[in-house]
Amino acid sequence: MDNFKQNPLVKKVGFNRVVLCGVLILMYIFFSILVPVITGSGFAGMSHIMGALNYAYFLGFLSLGVTFVIATGGIDFSIGPVMFCCGLISGYCLMTYNMPLPLCLLISVLIGTLFGLWNGYLVAYWTVPPFIVSMASMNMAKGIASVFTKTQSVSWPRSTDANGWFRNLVKAGGVPTGLFCFLGAAVICAIILNNTKFGRYIICLGSNKEAVRLSGVDTKKWEMCAYLMCGILVGIATIFFVGTYTTVQPGYGDTYNNEAIAGCVMGGTSMAGGLASISGTVIGVLIISLLQEGILALKLTKDVQLIITGIIVIVAVYADVMARRRKN
Amino acid sequence: MGETILEMKDIDKSFPGVHALDHVSLEVKRGEVHALMGENGAGKSTLMKVLTGIYKKDEGTITYKGREVEFHNTREAQDNGVVIVHQELNMVGDLTVAQNIFIGREPRKGFRIDDKKMIVDSRALFDRLHIDIDPTEKMSELTVGKQQMCEIAKAISHNAELIIFDEPSAALTEKEIEDLFTIIRDLRSQNLGIIYISHRMDEIKVITDRVTVMRDGGYVGTLVTEECTKEDIINMMVGRVIYEKPKEKSLVPADAPVVLKVEHLNAGKMVHDVSFELRKGEILGFSGLMGAGRTETARAIFGADPKQSGDIYINGEKVEINSPEDAVKHGIGYLSEDRRRFGIVVGKSITENSTMAALSEYMSGLFINKNKEKQVSEKYIKELDTKTPSTDQLVVNLSGGNQQKVVIAKWLVRNSDILIFDEPTRGIDVGAKNEIYKLMNRLAAEGKSIIMISSEMTEILRMSDRIIVMCEGRKTGEINIEEATQELIMDKATRQMEA
Repeated sequence: MDNFKQNPLVKKVGFNRVVLCGVLILMYIFFSILVPVITGSGFAGMSHIMGALNYAYFLGFLSLGVTFVIATGGIDFSIGPVMFCCGLISGYCLMTYNMPLPLCLLISVLIGTLFGLWNGYLVAYWTVPPFIVSMASMNMAKGIASVFTKTQSVSWPRSTDANGWFRNLVKAGGVPTGLFCFLGAAVICAIILNNTKFGRYIICLGSNKEAVRLSGVDTKKWEMCAYLMCGILVGIATIFFVGTYTTVQPGYGDTYNNEAIAGCVMGGTSMAGGLASISGTVIGVLIISLLQEGILALKLTKDVQLIITGIIVIVAVYADVMARRRKN
Repeated sequence: MGETILEMKDIDKSFPGVHALDHVSLEVKRGEVHALMGENGAGKSTLMKVLTGIYKKDEGTITYKGREVEFHNTREAQDNGVVIVHQELNMVGDLTVAQNIFIGREPRKGFRIDDKKMIVDSRALFDRLHIDIDPTEKMSELTVGKQQMCEIAKAISHNAELIIFDEPSAALTEKEIEDLFTIIRDLRSQNLGIIYISHRMDEIKVITDRVTVMRDGGYVGTLVTEECTKEDIINMMVGRVIYEKPKEKSLVPADAPVVLKVEHLNAGKMVHDVSFELRKGEILGFSGLMGAGRTETARAIFGADPKQSGDIYINGEKVEINSPEDAVKHGIGYLSEDRRRFGIVVGKSITENSTMAALSEYMSGLFINKNKEKQVSEKYIKELDTKTPSTDQLVVNLSGGNQQKVVIAKWLVRNSDILIFDEPTRGIDVGAKNEIYKLMNRLAAEGKSIIMISSEMTEILRMSDRIIVMCEGRKTGEINIEEATQELIMDKATRQMEA
């Protein structure tokens, strides 16, 4: 084991991520064997991979977003419902007010951004605990969406409809364009996190906010920016969600919080703040997505997945806590 | 003196990078006040933490009341009658005196806490100690001295047989110290074992029966107090190292310009009408007892805490400082007494910490120029002689002295001209201490101006060109180094309390 850890390639990629990749592959093999045995239909092959990927795109953007927040030592439980709020309001604008599609997509990103700004402002400048702020925002997002759409669900245009071209962002022909968008976004996020002032400050303030403040850094501003960044990514996640699933119902979305956070902490981002990995988040999201596809293929309900995701979050955070304790 | 109550033998303890205790021994008898002496960082507190189970020893044996023991936490030690009265007070300000004394083991009446019994029992305790404190009063309303008495009462209420006093007099006035001694003598006559940790040589002669001296984590020797002189003890404490001689005269040229001027500063409850000037190349010592308001003054100047009023001038120009950001822009750097909390981001590398205050200068467009960052980090590792395998080393893995150097590097990278060192050598071992002193002298010679807050008298006398003394939030004296003596400083540091 120690030899493996010292292997230069493993060191470069990171031991944690190598293990996660292993988990991903094992899981795929597991479902490929188990699904035919139990249900009689196959799992291996492109169709289930595409299914998992479809789930990974929007979830990936959510998870990337929340990575920035968790890096500061904060948390955002509003991302799922905010995504639904974005999808509902912009969809309502499209269907009922016939606004042009690009404007609607922009509205979606804008709403996400505003929620991020709101959360960030309250957390950073009013020092309301992030847990409380995001819980409140979660309910506000649900409420605002319901009020705006008069509690109706919204259907986005299908790929054959006049406005359906935006679905090419998710899949064009047989090409999974969404994967390129997600990976592209991940690369940009990684650069932001590792190579910009913003990234440096939020990770450091996640580790020791007071020390960063006493170095003359405007910690409030940067902390707010982390939530803002999260909001923007949630807005973008919406585009991939409606591009995949068409219908958005008011009052839902909270299950995605857990999954996005699970993907993030599984990837090695510490709930205590100060440690974040974008590549880890990407693999974490792929694992969650494959899990969801596999569970559906086993003809189990979404509820089973909720249970498993819950356990994943607890195990991942526990592992992080133990790692920290060992270090001290 | 009666039979032996505690014997610690060949205790050894290491932390990453520090050999904190090197086969130390200590023997305490019943009915004895046993002094444990040594400079800061000699290992006294560590030894006591090993005894009370806060740290686990690597080697050695502890024999208590005739049998070998190893306590796993302070609770277990308490239950066996070993209690410690800490230097820092561990009281909950919003609770009453009685509630504090019985915290965690409140007497019950059915499901409810029996407040009456608690108050009656507290009174009985205070009677036994002959102290006059109302158990129903809120802890935060008491003076530091009275709070200390409550700590002692709390310790005794555990049926203590061995009491450790960890620098109990640090924050007390003369009168309070006398009261404390009365209590200690009283406890001694009740056949308890007492370990008394202090820096103050005079107290040792007055109150203790035997002295054990430690140096650099090692055991030096044990003497009977009556049979030895102050000089004997000092020689044992400092050993072959030449004792830090006070600075003889100010090294600041008479015509050095004033770089920082503070006028009528008021901030919070702890800073009242503080005014002073700092000149170029000067090391300005801030002396005073614990809680005199020195750190609060520094934090207010630095913008870390809000101030109510007062003006700050830098190089003759009035400046507005409302946040650390403003202060840093004006060339002020603050090195906190509590490095781990306020100075460094322990989980990050030396490089990341070094450029923290000056990151803007290490950008290429939108991106951090990591090469340039690494170069400057390397430069200061070399210049300050920081001991580390590489620039990527996490600061958490460095010793206290090297962590302090990283903080210094941070402000040098920022090119700050005014440096506020708050207890610059706290928690740093003796060798590294000298290095920090040399560094400060060099910085002053290079034209940096330094405010040095220190509770160590020898440090103040050795380093300062001029000394400001504070007491209860006010400036009570300004002394040129040529006239400074320990007695004069002490007099000013306690002046207001007696008045």
